[in-house]
Amino acid sequence: MAEKSFETTSQVCCSTGSESLPILASPMESPLRKVLSRISGFVPSWGKKTAPPGRRIFHRDVEQDEFQNGTAHCLSSYYSVFVARLAIMVMLAILIGLLTVLTWHFTRVYTTKSLNTLAYGLRYELLQRPILRMWNILNSTSEITTAQVKLSEYVIRRYSKPTNQAEQIEQLYQMMKDITWALFASRKALNAITINYRNGFVQAFHRDHRSNNTFYIYSDLANYSISDTGSYDNKSQSSRQGWNDQFIHGNVSAIWYRQPLDPLTGEKIGKSSQIPPEDLINIAGPSQVPDGVASWHVAVSKYTDSPLLSAALPVWDASNKSIVAVVGVTTALYSVGQLMKELVEVHSGYIYLTSQEGYLLATSTNTPLLNNTAKGPKLMMAANSEDRVIRMGAQWLQKTYGNKFPPGHVVHVEKANLGGQHYYIDSFFLNLKRLPIVGVIIIPRKYIMGKVEERALKTLVILISASVCILAIGCVCILILTNGVSKEMKLRAELISHLDARRRAEASSNYKSQFLANMSHELRTPMAAVIGLLDILICDDCLTNEQYAMVTQIRKCSTALLRLLNNILDLSKVESGKLVLEEAEFDLGRELEGLVDMFSVQCINHNVETVLDLSDDIPKVVRGDSARVVQVFANLISNSIKFTTSGHIILRGWCENPNVSSDSGKFSPDQKKPMSALKTKLKHGNHMKKVSKKDNKMILWFEVDDTGCGIDPSKWESVFESFEQADPSTTRTHGGTGLGLCIVRTLVNKMGGEIKVVKKNGQGTLMRLFLLLSTPADGLEQQRQIDFAKHSVAVILALHGSMGRLIMSKWLSKNGVPTLEASEWNELTQILRELFHARTTNSGFDTHYSLAKPLRSKVQTLQDMKKLVYIIVVDLGLLDLSTEIWKEQLNFLDKFSGQVKFAWMLNHDTSNAIKMELRKKGHILMVNKPLYKAKMLHILEAVIKESYVEPQNRSPNGTKGTSKQGDSHECLEIDSTQFETCSSDDSDISEMTGANSVSSVGIREQLKEGTILKSGPPTLRNCLVEFTRLGLEVNNLRTEEDQCNGRPKFHDTKDVKCENPNSSEQPLVRSNVKDRDNSYTTNKAASEQKSLEGLRLLLAEDTPVLQRVATIMLEKMGAVVVAVGDGAQAVEALNCELDGDENRTNRLQTEICDSPPYDLILMDCQMPMMDGYEATKAIRKSEERTGWHVPIVALTAHAMSSDKEKCLKVGMDAYLTKPIDYKLMVSTILSLTKRSTKG
Amino acid sequence: MEVGQMQRRLVDYTKTLFMEGFLDAQFLQLQQLQDENNPDFVVEVVSLFFDDSEKLLNNLSMALDQPNVDFKKVDAHVHQLKGSSSSIGAQRVKNACIAFRNFCEEQNIDATLRCLQQVKHEYYLVKNKLETLLRLEQQIVAAGGSIPMIDMGF
Repeated sequence: MAEKSFETTSQVCCSTGSESLPILASPMESPLRKVLSRISGFVPSWGKKTAPPGRRIFHRDVEQDEFQNGTAHCLSSYYSVFVARLAIMVMLAILIGLLTVLTWHFTRVYTTKSLNTLAYGLRYELLQRPILRMWNILNSTSEITTAQVKLSEYVIRRYSKPTNQAEQIEQLYQMMKDITWALFASRKALNAITINYRNGFVQAFHRDHRSNNTFYIYSDLANYSISDTGSYDNKSQSSRQGWNDQFIHGNVSAIWYRQPLDPLTGEKIGKSSQIPPEDLINIAGPSQVPDGVASWHVAVSKYTDSPLLSAALPVWDASNKSIVAVVGVTTALYSVGQLMKELVEVHSGYIYLTSQEGYLLATSTNTPLLNNTAKGPKLMMAANSEDRVIRMGAQWLQKTYGNKFPPGHVVHVEKANLGGQHYYIDSFFLNLKRLPIVGVIIIPRKYIMGKVEERALKTLVILISASVCILAIGCVCILILTNGVSKEMKLRAELISHLDARRRAEASSNYKSQFLANMSHELRTPMAAVIGLLDILICDDCLTNEQYAMVTQIRKCSTALLRLLNNILDLSKVESGKLVLEEAEFDLGRELEGLVDMFSVQCINHNVETVLDLSDDIPKVVRGDSARVVQVFANLISNSIKFTTSGHIILRGWCENPNVSSDSGKFSPDQKKPMSALKTKLKHGNHMKKVSKKDNKMILWFEVDDTGCGIDPSKWESVFESFEQADPSTTRTHGGTGLGLCIVRTLVNKMGGEIKVVKKNGQGTLMRLFLLLSTPADGLEQQRQIDFAKHSVAVILALHGSMGRLIMSKWLSKNGVPTLEASEWNELTQILRELFHARTTNSGFDTHYSLAKPLRSKVQTLQDMKKLVYIIVVDLGLLDLSTEIWKEQLNFLDKFSGQVKFAWMLNHDTSNAIKMELRKKGHILMVNKPLYKAKMLHILEAVIKESYVEPQNRSPNGTKGTSKQGDSHECLEIDSTQFETCSSDDSDISEMTGANSVSSVGIREQLKEGTILKSGPPTLRNCLVEFTRLGLEVNNLRTEEDQCNGRPKFHDTKDVKCENPNSSEQPLVRSNVKDRDNSYTTNKAASEQKSLEGLRLLLAEDTPVLQRVATIMLEKMGAVVVAVGDGAQAVEALNCELDGDENRTNRLQTEICDSPPYDLILMDCQMPMMDGYEATKAIRKSEERTGWHVPIVALTAHAMSSDKEKCLKVGMDAYLTKPIDYKLMVSTILSLTKRSTKG
Repeated sequence: MEVGQMQRRLVDYTKTLFMEGFLDAQFLQLQQLQDENNPDFVVEVVSLFFDDSEKLLNNLSMALDQPNVDFKKVDAHVHQLKGSSSSIGAQRVKNACIAFRNFCEEQNIDATLRCLQQVKHEYYLVKNKLETLLRLEQQIVAAGGSIPMIDMGF
């Protein structure tokens, strides 16, 4: 039981140990636990071992050291694995061995024991039987003897009367003979009965078993008389020896007769004959009963070959005082031997009986029991027996025990080696009085245990071989298992370490991003301060020119640094997933036009042409993050500009509509192939299309095509990696960090698009991208197009840039406007002359230029068409501005002014003098380069309108057009101001974080950089300011702006505007311009101070200090500020104003009828009672019923971008951080108020 | 004292204030906002700041004295203090407030108490400095001099 439980526990241990080595199994033997704990102790060591690679990346200097550690770990771990395996195997071996031994032992021991018990019983039983038989024989012998004695006594007493002695004696003997015969006959087993009378007469019956004869033996009666009895009795005591002698001698002297008898009847069958004394049988005499009691002894006779058991008993006389005769009975022990033989035969064992002295009495074998010596047969010692086994057994017993037999002569020996064989020897002692007998049984061990031992041996062999097999298999299994486990553990450790490393890497990357975000955020603040202070410094009058230049340089550097920081911040924002794209409607075309305007300024110095080519199907208004879209293109274009020294940069855009096949003929010839390629590419982006259909999303394709140095095809992918540049050497020449394209790609991807570099025919790079932008829910309103064909206009494009001209002319002819192209002055004159040669007879220029044939034919077709209105778009660059020739050229063109309309393409640095000159000549249409669709549309519309109104006021137009229409020109000029401002120095692209701020930045920039841009840009603001100051109606102003921006509203207001220019403002504007020329800074200060003139602002701010500061700031700029302490008050103030306003509205239903009470609300975010977010929500809710939208600017000290999102989410329009940056605030307010008045 | 000397002293003193980081550009903006329309603008704002701050500091001490501190409230107070100090350009107070708010988020009472001490310390420092500065300015004005424009080349 105990063993079993041990076995199971150990099995459990084994299984748990092997299966779950890494886990510490709970209950187990202490050594096992030790081993397992050791094993499990290795797991972390493996982890340690494999962990280093992760760290190695970071600490390359300690790599060597780590590596050595690693190998040491490795060795020790291998060693320990080996030890563990060995331990497990040894344990298994011990277990199996134990099991085997125990199994064998128990099976064997139990059988052996039970068999032994059985064998013992058997042996005992076997031996008991002959002994019982012996006992029976003895008993019967003694019984007979006793009976004979009793009968003899009786007979003798009858015949002991002294009368007639002789007869009596005769009768007595006869009687005795009869009685004895009767007894003798009744017992067949008896060998002999003898009666030896005191007088020496002997009567005896003898049975010879061998010859089966029965004899009556008697002695001669003559010599004896019964009377002698007395003397005999008397002498008995004194002369025992004499009695004996007498007996023997008497016997010898006496004559013995033997008479054969019939064995059955006892009749005499033969004559009695005298027999020699040596033939005499053993006759018991008085010597054998010396004490007068019965005696036993073993006798031998020559008639039998087995010992005889003879008993002698005296017969007492009547007085019981003297022995009258001795009766002897002899029984053969032959039957005992016979029985023993039978018993033992089946068991192939041996039994023998000996007397106490060691004489053999009976054996189970047929060997003689008697020694035939010269003196007749003698009893034989067992040790001298002729039977080998018996002899050896007796000798063994004698050798082992000698004469010192254990008490009772009981010996049980299970394994006596007799002659090379094992025997059981058992002896019993039959303690008969006078005749003690020892019985010995010898059974070969083989007979009883042979099979068992054989089986046990076989079992042992089988068990051992089986256990060896199991052990071997187990070892192999363990080897495999541990191998597997260790492999698994290694893998797991590796996995864990990999995970760890990955997590660490991610964390570090995250830290990096976070760090970058934080750092750039933290850095931006001082940078902003630096830039702000530099601005202040620039404003300072008392700077020398050098100082001024230096400070300007510092400012440029600072802005560059700030831009870099912003880039990093953008990137880290995107990387850390914090960038959230806005969803707002914006005019994509306008944003891109502005962008092109901006970059064209930069390009002019590079002799690069910037062309915008948007297809007509691009929706005007899309939803998305305008700032990010603009950033994408700004980065791409600036990148292109950086690498393009000559040629052109084209920004193409078209709309991917699955239904309408795009008119690719419109694009450049190398377009078709990539288009189809992209289409196939889009096919496996099918889900995208589905999305686009469902969500009203559109795929807008764009291309930025330049003629720069190009990118090596192998770098097409890698240029979009961060800090990656196609050619590192360009950094020196072009600068840059390599972040731009990375940001572009992340942004494009974020907007659901893709960007890649595509193969381009010819020099340069072609970046193609698509964006997934949704269009407003009200669907794609088709852009209103004027059917130019019916207005019968023709356009002559006299432009420098061939690409822009080509695209423009294509577009125009597609829209039904015939075009002529001229790339230089002479060509233009040629065309003009061809067209109007009849009227222009006196040209002051050479006419030997002949037009090319196709052109000429075109001209002729145009000539054929009657009543055409010609518009000549003239690049100012065609005029020779370096000398004074341009004036003559102008005069030349002036001659045609009756027949054609001139639209002038100005450069950004076109001097005011030229503009004035143009204006003087009545050239009212002036736009800045570059020419794109919207501008062309403007020109056309303006000309068409004018041609309609011309008939009515031709005369005033002719005379005072210069002064009147100057404004409208300026307005036309102005539309591009927002972007022009970023002049040839590094433009602050990334500061444009929204449409609003773009324009605000523009304004801000123009404040600072007005020195470079003397003309144009500030005019808008100036106009604006002046207009407001003069109390011009807001309405008017708005229409004016609309017109400037080329809105469709143009039609409604244009005539009003054009026909009613306020003539009084003209001098003011002029003076302003002059002021600016003289001293920009003072002008700036003045204008800045009043830049918020007329605005009504609501300031919600709880901190009194900040409230005061902001109020003063704003008031200084001319705004009317109402300050409240918390959000609730702000809402209240607005509401009551609204109510009041409604009344007012009723009263004066004039132009301001639906403008909100405040132009703008500045809202602190964190305020008691009601915070900024809540207040904004409340305001926006209340606005629902009026339909206004008061711009709300958040003021917050939380400088995180998430706060910005939160602000914008609740409905705020912009976001300012505390402490308030003076200029940023102004520009924000301006942009918002402007927008609100517009919309 | 002579006016010129006082003016120089004022300039030096202001410079040290900037150098030591007590004040930042915001204060300059503040000074620029002062003109003939608001002749006492700086004094007004600064005294507003003092009142406001003292009130806030009192509130803060009280709030932190409570057995279980309402960190939201504390945070709001500190936020306000931060806002007002940053708008007058008391840079060191502002920085202390930023640290204070961080500990508020962690709800670390010990640290916030420490921070309160620091904020108070900074506040009294800057208060002293500003008072001295304003006194100097007043003296100059009283002596009939003009307040020199502060050199921004710090």
